[in-house]
Amino acid sequence: MRDARDAEDARLLENGEIALLLAGWVDVIRARCIAWMRGPVGEDVAQAVLERLWRELKAGRHGDGKLPFRVIVHSVIGWVCRGWNEAGWQETELFDLDVPVPDLADAVVMDLTLEQFVATLPPGDGEVAALLYLEGLEPAEVADRLDKQPNAVHQAAHRIKPRLREWLAA
Amino acid sequence: MKVDIETLLDELVRRHARGEPLDVQGALARAGDRADELATLIEAYLERAPRNAPSTEAMELVRSLDDPPMLRARVGKRLRVDDVVDAIVTACDVQPEKRPKVRRYYQQLEAGVLDPSRVAAKVWDAITALLERPRAALVLPRLDAPSAPAAYLRTEAPYDVQLTERLVTRASEPVDRDEVDALFLGNG
Repeated sequence: MRDARDAEDARLLENGEIALLLAGWVDVIRARCIAWMRGPVGEDVAQAVLERLWRELKAGRHGDGKLPFRVIVHSVIGWVCRGWNEAGWQETELFDLDVPVPDLADAVVMDLTLEQFVATLPPGDGEVAALLYLEGLEPAEVADRLDKQPNAVHQAAHRIKPRLREWLAA
Repeated sequence: MKVDIETLLDELVRRHARGEPLDVQGALARAGDRADELATLIEAYLERAPRNAPSTEAMELVRSLDDPPMLRARVGKRLRVDDVVDAIVTACDVQPEKRPKVRRYYQQLEAGVLDPSRVAAKVWDAITALLERPRAALVLPRLDAPSAPAAYLRTEAPYDVQLTERLVTRASEPVDRDEVDALFLGNG
């Protein structure tokens, strides 16, 4: 599935705005590397991921648009995180652009997006989840927007939280 | 206190939706012995999450990716040149009066104008330990790397790093070599 974000990434790639493109992914890369590595070493791993992606972008890779850039980002994250603790791996693989990096089997997972989670919810809860998780509104703002009682929003949020966890763990 | 993984995850997702920085390390610390479980869920979320508009800090970070890697690593660790020099001086037992010379050499190495292959292993040990990066991650990619394709070579390197190194190191080759020269220029 490709969405509006993929279209924006593709536009930035096409226009050669690679710094802007990669900058948009910095927070996600850092956060996922820290989660994967289970600690602050993830900061160093994230730096290596950024360096790798930057070199690839500068070398003109990924401009063909065959895969959404987010698929490439997460594939490189997986590749670097898996290799990070292997002896000697950083000395060669990471910096050799000839090494076929990503395991693009990850692309299957990439077809799942948060919007799809929202779509799995009953309509009322889905509305609340979209405003909480996609638009980042506070519960009071959600109540205001949907013309609901704050307590109704809190109850919906209470139902949504375990559903999100189940969906992510599936 | 019982850790509510779902609440920690919910907080993180909502922070991300608001475009705020994600404190994954903090969330994992709060999860205590359930950090592993939370980390797996955060990863799964981030794989599916939308990216946000780039922050000023993120733009600066990406722009810095063209800086020499050793400089970037040092700045990333919020270390001064003198911090690294101190580590080298201590690790290599350099006499205090020769510290300025170590500093000059280190700055040449950091700027990518000193041939890293000539630098002694114990200097590298001090640097890599302090910067917490492997040596390969601290040196500029070489133009003569045998695996690099020609097309990549033309686009990646703005100048001939090796030639620059040769010119600089030859120009500054000392006549009377001491132990600091040997540490940074080898014994040749």
